[in-house]
Amino acid sequence: MSAAARSQQIAEWLIRAACRRLPADVRAERCREWTAELPAILSDQSVRLSFLRTLRALAFCAGISKTTRRLSRSWRASSRRTRSSQWRTGGIRPSDMMARLAVGLVVWAVVVAGTITVLTVLTTGPHADPWPLLAIVALVIGFDAFCLVDIARAADVRYLRKWAWALICLAQSPLGGIVYLSIGRVGPSRPMPPADAQR
Amino acid sequence: MCRLGCVKLTRPLERVLRVLLADPTAEHYGYDLMKATRLPSGTLYPMLARLQQEGLVHSEWEEQRTDAAGRPPRKYYRLTADGARVARLELAQASTPPTSTRRVAARTAQETPGSAL
Repeated sequence: MSAAARSQQIAEWLIRAACRRLPADVRAERCREWTAELPAILSDQSVRLSFLRTLRALAFCAGISKTTRRLSRSWRASSRRTRSSQWRTGGIRPSDMMARLAVGLVVWAVVVAGTITVLTVLTTGPHADPWPLLAIVALVIGFDAFCLVDIARAADVRYLRKWAWALICLAQSPLGGIVYLSIGRVGPSRPMPPADAQR
Repeated sequence: MCRLGCVKLTRPLERVLRVLLADPTAEHYGYDLMKATRLPSGTLYPMLARLQQEGLVHSEWEEQRTDAAGRPPRKYYRLTADGARVARLELAQASTPPTSTRRVAARTAQETPGSAL
C-alpha cells in the first residue's frame, strides 16, 4: 500500500469519526463531501513533499472535527429553543389556553359547590347515612380512572410528560383531572404540531 | 429573515465573500476555497454552512464522471443571486468610512424597499 493511500485511509477514518457527531439525516452527505476533498489535498502538487501533504490532510480532518462539533452544538441549541417554546405554548394560543383554563375552573367550582351542597343537605338530615359520601367518592374515583385511561391511550399530551399528568390527576383529584382535561389533553380534532413528535 | 446584517462581518467571512464574489458564477469546492482564502477547514465549513442556511450560498454535487479518474464526486459552492447582492453591499460598507456607510445603506434601502434587511 502506498503512503498516499494509507494517509487517505487514516483521514477517511478520522472524518467518519467526526461525522458521528452530526444528526443522522445529514451525516452521510457531509461525510461524503469531506471525504471527496481528500484526493485533492493528497495530490496537491503545490505542496512538494508527500509528508507535508499528509500533514495537511490531517489538519483538514482536525478542522472537520471542529466543524462537526460546532454544527452539532448549534443544532442542539436550536432544537432546545423550539422545544422550550413548545413547552410554553404547547401548540395552542395563550388566549385559547386561558379560555380552556377558565372553563375548567368553572367546572371545578360547580362540582365542588354541588358536592358540598349535596353533602350538607343529606348528612344534616334526621336520618344521616354514609351512602351519599360513598357515592361521591365512587364518582371521584371513576373520574380519576377516566382521566388515567385517557392519558394512557392518548398519543401525546401537552406541556408535561404523561407520567407527570397522571401524578397530577392522582394527587389533586378531582382538580388535577379537570386541569388535565382542559389544557393537557390533545383533542382528536386538533392534532399536535409535527415538530412536537420528535420528543 | 436573518441576513448577514445580523452577524459581524469578520475578517475570515470577508475573505470568503471576496473570493466567492471575484466570479459569482464560479463553482468552488472546499479545498479550493481553503487555499484561496487561506482559512483552515474548521473555520471555513461552519461559515459555509451558515451562509447556506441563510440562502446566500448554494451548493451542488458534481456530476458523477464516467472517465476513470477514480475521484469521488465533489460538492461545489457558489453564491446565489441574493448572496452576491448582500455580499457586495457588505463589502462596500466594510471598505467605506463609517460616516458614508449609513448613506450607502439608506440608498440601497430606498432602491430595494423591504429587502435591505
